[in-house]
Amino acid sequence: MRENGKRKKRASLSGATSLSGGTKILTYISLAWALLVALMPLVWLLLSSFKEDPLARPGFQLPESICLDGYISTFRDLHVMRYFGNSMVIAFVSVVLSILMISMSAYVVARLDFKGKGIISILLYSTMFIPPTALTYPVYNLVNRLHIYDTRSALILIYSCSGIAISFFVIKNYYTNIPKEMEEAARIDGCGYVQTWWRVIFPIARPGIMTAAVLAFLNNWNEYYWASLVMITREKMTVPALLSTFTTAFRTNYNGLFSAMVVIILPPIILYCVFSKFFVEALSGGAVKG
Amino acid sequence: MEKKKRAGGLGWRRKGFILAFLAPTLTAFAIFYLYPIVTVIFTSFCKWDYTNIKTPQFWGWDELWDNYQYIFQTYPYFWEALRNSSAWALLGAVVQVPVATLIALAFSRKIKGVRTIRNIYIIPNMISTAAMGMIFLQLYSPLYGVVNPVIRLFNKGFDENILLLKGPAFWAMTCAYIFFTGTTTLLILGNIMAVPEDVREAAVLDGADGLKQDWYITLPMIKGTLKTVSVLAATSGFLLYNEVYFLTKGAAGTYSISYVIRELAITSPRTQFGRANTVAVVQILAGMVIIVLINGLYSISWKKKKEGCR
Repeated sequence: MRENGKRKKRASLSGATSLSGGTKILTYISLAWALLVALMPLVWLLLSSFKEDPLARPGFQLPESICLDGYISTFRDLHVMRYFGNSMVIAFVSVVLSILMISMSAYVVARLDFKGKGIISILLYSTMFIPPTALTYPVYNLVNRLHIYDTRSALILIYSCSGIAISFFVIKNYYTNIPKEMEEAARIDGCGYVQTWWRVIFPIARPGIMTAAVLAFLNNWNEYYWASLVMITREKMTVPALLSTFTTAFRTNYNGLFSAMVVIILPPIILYCVFSKFFVEALSGGAVKG
Repeated sequence: MEKKKRAGGLGWRRKGFILAFLAPTLTAFAIFYLYPIVTVIFTSFCKWDYTNIKTPQFWGWDELWDNYQYIFQTYPYFWEALRNSSAWALLGAVVQVPVATLIALAFSRKIKGVRTIRNIYIIPNMISTAAMGMIFLQLYSPLYGVVNPVIRLFNKGFDENILLLKGPAFWAMTCAYIFFTGTTTLLILGNIMAVPEDVREAAVLDGADGLKQDWYITLPMIKGTLKTVSVLAATSGFLLYNEVYFLTKGAAGTYSISYVIRELAITSPRTQFGRANTVAVVQILAGMVIIVLINGLYSISWKKKKEGCR
């Protein structure tokens, strides 16, 4: 009911602010620009992937006939599903590990008082401003010394430990908004600290935790820098790392190259289209309705 | 009071719980941030290269700044890289953020179809920057790309690869990432939508609408977000790596600081870990400078605006 009333109010308000000329023009230019920027490269890529010989019909010319050879060979010869599998396993395991540990620590920092709490918050916050590329060699060296170079564990280790700051603050903010009475009730019912967190707080905070998890998953799925640093065996590579082998792998087979690229960017796009509501809300901090 | 007593009685359990719940994250912090940073700073003062891989060797107090001297004076790509990375940082703050804000404002209006356009605009940000780099590499191809035919409209017979031309290569690379502001736009849009309804309503009654309302009411109210977003955009511009790797590999004057670090530490046949870490120290310091600068700029411009209002 309330939601409905709000909407009505908004509608009437927007009715009152019929946009003036200049604003209107600027708005439409911005929207057109947004569409152009987002679609131009992707449409061109898709178009080119259907051309039997992109050299013969460069630019935005339509293909003469639709050629699907590249797509067939992407699945048959490139074994693209294997790399999706690698990416999936690595991104998923690291998200579960990092979100679990961060939702534990964030709870302690958000709800309990103890010495050194401030310092811990500052330390974790500061990681947001440490450029990961500056840590290239020490991390590379560490991976070698742990004898996990060129294994999936190396990437899982790196992904679970990096990007702490964002997940930490998203989840901590969510905890802070949960009423204290929830915990008190649980304590009176005889729950210990761990049980209170696991049975009561964790389920309530699930939306915030999910937001952090989805963002972390997307980051891990798309991550290229570390993936190309600690993996050399082609079979174990994640999808973004595989991309850097394309220029040599395809040489002059441009049709194959374009098709493979379309296939590779498709999963995140499909995922986004299905859950766009969720993504938009998560990325805008919950204020924009998807 | 009573509660405190009980907590005291459960002191050891409470302590144990806090420690156990903090330990994993702190371990991760130590592994991925603390240990590497300490290593980077310490070994930036060490002779450490392909000749002594296992044992970094402290330069000694007399030659303490040897690596820094080498990087600043001898290493051929450092200044080029610093200039490029700084330019990308600046462009992040002065191009990306205004573009993102304009688009966010457009998305905040009630126009038919705006939601669809908004959703489409986010798509490129869902794709790995590596893939976007690869797509732009194809777009710039002189053989089958889109850019060369456009140039040929003005300059007949142009058949060079713009990624290999000093000057244009820098801008081509900039264009390959700078306009994809989807996530930034959403953050700003989220804040615009969170501006309380009655504030906007009051502005409408005062006769402010459209651009005027945005400039005087909406933008000042989301100033905090704009600052954060500027820091993020400038920092990520400063750290650019994937675009450099996929588009030019540093050719035609397009080195970035991150690219230099990776080259010195890993890719070059004569790896120089100590010196790579020296550049890394510079990168960390530059990141701090960016944060301080942007914070300073925002507080100055804010004060001026406030005084102007009076």
